Amino acid sequence: MSVEPRWASGVCEGLHAAGSRHVVYVPDNPLSHVLRILRESFPDVTTTLATREEEAFGIAAGLYLGGARPTVMLQSSGLGNSLNALTSLLVPYRIPMLIVISMRGDAGEWNDAQVPMGRAVRPICDAIGLPHVTVDTPDTTADTVRLVGQTAFGTRLPGVCLLPRRLTACPPKPRRRRVPS
Amino acid sequence: MNRLDATRLLVAAVDAEPIVASLGHPAYDLFAAGDRPANFYTWGSMGLASSIGLGLALARPELRVFVVDGDGSLLMNLGSLATIGWTRPPNLVLIVWDNEAYATTGGQKTATAHGADLEAAARAMGATATATVATEEAFGAAIARARVEPGPWVIVAKVAESAPAVKPPLDCVFIKQRFMAAIGQAEDATRGGRA
Repeated sequence: MSVEPRWASGVCEGLHAAGSRHVVYVPDNPLSHVLRILRESFPDVTTTLATREEEAFGIAAGLYLGGARPTVMLQSSGLGNSLNALTSLLVPYRIPMLIVISMRGDAGEWNDAQVPMGRAVRPICDAIGLPHVTVDTPDTTADTVRLVGQTAFGTRLPGVCLLPRRLTACPPKPRRRRVPS
Repeated sequence: MNRLDATRLLVAAVDAEPIVASLGHPAYDLFAAGDRPANFYTWGSMGLASSIGLGLALARPELRVFVVDGDGSLLMNLGSLATIGWTRPPNLVLIVWDNEAYATTGGQKTATAHGADLEAAARAMGATATATVATEEAFGAAIARARVEPGPWVIVAKVAESAPAVKPPLDCVFIKQRFMAAIGQAEDATRGGRA
């Protein structure tokens, strides 16, 4: 598959290969590419929009209890909104899911307000016991996402895939078209 | 109607359907009313019981999924009503024990004590099968309908506090594994198999 951008298509292929058919998300700009490719090329994947990241983790937990292998997608800023769900539901109950986080506040950031949380993402994951892997290049995205997902579902612990801005911001996203969806 | 009596009525009315309980007193009363493998007791994640129920209802459309939430908990995750309102799982039944207080933490008044109307909020967000009940008769009738008629149902039950004296099992992984097995979804890792 050669849908652009390649990292986004890799996220879709990776989560699909890990057996995930449900994606619960709060969107951001880079993730809009993933959502578009899922809609256009992965008809067996259901996407559900949550009002807030913590809610997304609750919905995904219920999906897992019902036998699904859920993916949650969010921007790094939303990790702060999610900590109680992660620490008092997913980790103690060993409810696994693939977590894909679009990073802000790292190299390439322009917004001061994104920097403190961006810097805190990895230490927070370490502190609460969530394994995390940072995707390096567009070419390795699909395999990395797949492996993080397979490890999460195999060991019954959520696994985090971080998408740095140097991956998602280059090349620049196409100009937004003003057409009704 | 107090919450424990209403919970007993619910447990007696359901068959094998899963019940997801919000942390604290709703979970304690569900355990007191009748411990069963298809009870999912939360020990944290305040506010997320309705979200967990929504995800379960979406994954298992053939199951009628019950949630026992609290007014304080639902107020902490009101966005859940919006998501339930547009995804409209017909098999979700959200019961809100509304005692107008944070009873688990000492009885501080919630917004519903000052007029906030959670049934009206659910309707405003798109749920059409809703009720507010204050007696065991009315609650029993609402549950009987919610078991068979399409939802999503949001039933606000005005209840008195019931001071539960027992607690559900503490082991979260045990609760999860027992629950998943009860709804026919046992985790692979609990089963063993070919080498």
